[in-house]
Amino acid sequence: MSDSPFAEVLAALTRQRGVLGSMVVSEADGIIVDSNLQIGVRGSVVAALAASLYRKARLSAQAAGLGTSSFVQLEAEQGRVCAVGRGDLLLVTVAEARANVGLIRVEMLRATQVLDA
Amino acid sequence: MTVAVVENWVEEPLRRFVADARVRLALLLHTSGQVLAQSGFTRSVDVMSACALAAAIHASAGELGKQLDGKPFHVLHHAGKERQIFLAPARTPRGLYIFLSVFDKESSLGLVQLYYGEFVDRLVAAAPPAEPPPVVLPENFEGELNRNLAALFGRA
Repeated sequence: MSDSPFAEVLAALTRQRGVLGSMVVSEADGIIVDSNLQIGVRGSVVAALAASLYRKARLSAQAAGLGTSSFVQLEAEQGRVCAVGRGDLLLVTVAEARANVGLIRVEMLRATQVLDA
Repeated sequence: MTVAVVENWVEEPLRRFVADARVRLALLLHTSGQVLAQSGFTRSVDVMSACALAAAIHASAGELGKQLDGKPFHVLHHAGKERQIFLAPARTPRGLYIFLSVFDKESSLGLVQLYYGEFVDRLVAAAPPAEPPPVVLPENFEGELNRNLAALFGRA
């Protein structure tokens, strides 16, 4: 287990029911800064694509005059990818379809305080 | 984005990489500095310079890696203010090649790394059976280089 400033918050997120893993990712590079993933989650692939998706969603929101995006959720057949950003860092969570997305959202928004620190 | 190749089996993997990774420039070359394929360059002189520099960087980094770590460094990434370069080896049944890619904010290091892996897998799958390595003699180098550049830029 990593002892980075993000380890505790990532562990708390990944303990949520139905969560397969969570990562702190550099938005500009799409590279993992720290992660807590279950076996089988392709962290580097998810990180690269989620960062790209979030960056484009943020730019789309700005272009539409809606300000910055706060929370991005991708709903797929068998699960969800959620991302929330602060500065150049993103918090990305991969969850099963049965996961309580409301709870995950609250936890992620709370956890972004760690990204600010 | 235009893709020009000297050998046809390289075209589809490179085209897919450029489309997926959204890079500005891509170059595949022999370790000797001979170009095999390119995307995004408009002048042959730029391809020639980029090939020479990429081959030199690869050789230097490889030797430095051997000295420091006992084996060549694998991937080199250099981030500039606007653009970044990604330089990596691509080992195929046809031999070892050098892959150079230049990208900006349209892409990211993570995406380039991700699609570079897929690009190498596609190259390996598309590569024809290995041939004896061509001998590039110093006296033939310039002729070979000009022949490849002419093939890429339609002056063959």
